[in-house]
Amino acid sequence: MEVRPILSTLFRNKTAPLLIAAQVALTLAIVANSLYIIRERLASAARPTGLDEPNIGWINLSPVGEVADPKTMQEVDLNTLRAIPGVRSATWANMIPLSQSGWNSGGMSLKEGDNDSGINSAHYFSPGSLVDTFGLNLIAGRDFTADDVFDHDPEQGSALPKTVIISKALAEALLPNEADLGQLVGQQLFNATEAPVTIIGIVDRLQTPWSNEGADGEQSYILPIRYLVGSFQYAIRTEPGQLDRVMKEAADQLSTLRSDRVLNSQRTFAEIRASRYANETLMAGLLIAVTLFLLLITASGIVGLSSLWVNQRRKQIGVRRALGARRIDVIRYFLVENMLITSGGVLLGLLLTLALNQVLVRQMEVPRLPAEYVGFGMVIMWLLGVASVLGPALRAARVPPAVATRTV
Amino acid sequence: MIRMNKLSKVYRTHMIETHALRGIEIDVQPGEFVAVTGPSGSGKTTFLNIAGLLEEHTGGDYFLDGVNVTGLNDNQRSRLRNEKLGFIFQGFNLIPDLNLFDNVDVPLRYRGFNAAERRRRIEEALAQVGLSARIKHYPSELSGGQQQRVAIARALAGSPKVLLADEPTGNLDTQMARGVMELLEEINARGTTILMVTHDPELAARAARNVHIVDGLVTDFVRREAPSLVAVA
Repeated sequence: MEVRPILSTLFRNKTAPLLIAAQVALTLAIVANSLYIIRERLASAARPTGLDEPNIGWINLSPVGEVADPKTMQEVDLNTLRAIPGVRSATWANMIPLSQSGWNSGGMSLKEGDNDSGINSAHYFSPGSLVDTFGLNLIAGRDFTADDVFDHDPEQGSALPKTVIISKALAEALLPNEADLGQLVGQQLFNATEAPVTIIGIVDRLQTPWSNEGADGEQSYILPIRYLVGSFQYAIRTEPGQLDRVMKEAADQLSTLRSDRVLNSQRTFAEIRASRYANETLMAGLLIAVTLFLLLITASGIVGLSSLWVNQRRKQIGVRRALGARRIDVIRYFLVENMLITSGGVLLGLLLTLALNQVLVRQMEVPRLPAEYVGFGMVIMWLLGVASVLGPALRAARVPPAVATRTV
Repeated sequence: MIRMNKLSKVYRTHMIETHALRGIEIDVQPGEFVAVTGPSGSGKTTFLNIAGLLEEHTGGDYFLDGVNVTGLNDNQRSRLRNEKLGFIFQGFNLIPDLNLFDNVDVPLRYRGFNAAERRRRIEEALAQVGLSARIKHYPSELSGGQQQRVAIARALAGSPKVLLADEPTGNLDTQMARGVMELLEEINARGTTILMVTHDPELAARAARNVHIVDGLVTDFVRREAPSLVAVA
């Protein structure tokens, strides 16, 4: 390997190699951090909610004026929905995961009066079975029965339910470091403002409407409440492959059922998810575009410099060929030269990457960059270097040895 | 050492065929010093390129040190060039960013010698041309004559059978040219075959044998014989 003579040549022509190395370093720093942020954002956007997402839809209607008989209206609506072929389950619900608005409660605790526990939870309620309609996985205890359900008119301050189903994340927050969460079934749950309720079941996962990062994004509980207000929002779960048709029929039938309300929205859960993570997807897309653009710019720089050097050294290449270099020797020369420049850039880039990550950790609360992303970025830069120089190197290898004897 | 039988070279474009060499017959014995002369465009550079395996001939046969080079692939020609031939160019063709040591080292690396062997050969070759003290200097720090001496050292370091010199004094003043010529004569005296292309009749006259090329045809005569030119091709 001609490493020493190549280094010697590079040291005598420092400017261009240094610029390329700096470009490689900067690209590595940005690519490694961007890839990590992209992955984090996309992983966050791909988190499961606990719902049977492909088969769930959400319909929202608003009354025009006062609704005198909300309970009857809910029952008629639900009977209508359940009669549509392909509907597996339907119920009224106060909110749905990822909708970005909803109810929550603070101060959840197993002890009365422990209002400072700080455990916040999303507060779902429904007169039906969200376990069934959302497709939740009940891992302990039981689902609600009709006996658990309480009618609740907020204007009359009527009685509240006595049972609750909690999510596993909430159970883990209530009993930290405890393997047997099933022991919570039968225990009472308190919060700051309401009467205690008995835990009757635990579901594996139920994400909050805000889908915040970390465990508190899945801290939720469900109360069996028939909420007697003129707001009508229904979750529908269908048989596989039936959702689009059912949603259209559901919207048509609910719209024609009564004239004193309007259809606000009808969305599949996929649409709700897309809407929730639109910013994350856009940001990831922008970062991918910037990353690809940077890689393209760096590759162009390497191709440009290598091409320039091939043209400048045409005579020198011919002389080397005349002195016995094979074509593969010429290709190897350019590859080694490029690897040296790229490696210099990669080493500098390693420091820049860590420095940039430090800034991002402090300013944007981005997690610390794992080593494998730095390694992956380094491999990308080396491959980029090799791929970029290959064309010019092959062109150099085609320089005939007879160039050595030409005077022009 | 060099034997060419009915060797020809035709350059073809889609429109034109140019016959650069037309059936050359030549036989250079080991240890000979042959000057190749001829007017511009006569084909002497093409002849040198083919003799040096820098270009392929299109007809006839060429034997270099007993090896028929016709039909050899690029790698085999490179290997043969590296092992059997040394080149001295008119413009020296040293690599400006390498010091003298590394310049002389270039063909030795392609030969696959180990570092100690390469060092020995480089030091010996530079000593032979009187430039041992300049081993770490760069070509730009040397005079033209010294640069050509480095090129000669580079050519000699691999112990070639044949030295091919293309106008080796063409870029030098008279005094430097004389020094380079004397060096070539010394090398030849030690047994290395030399094939030298030159415009200079005075230099050609110092070679034991002249090959004159006109329009791709060779007129071969040994110096000190009667000056009757006998075309052999």
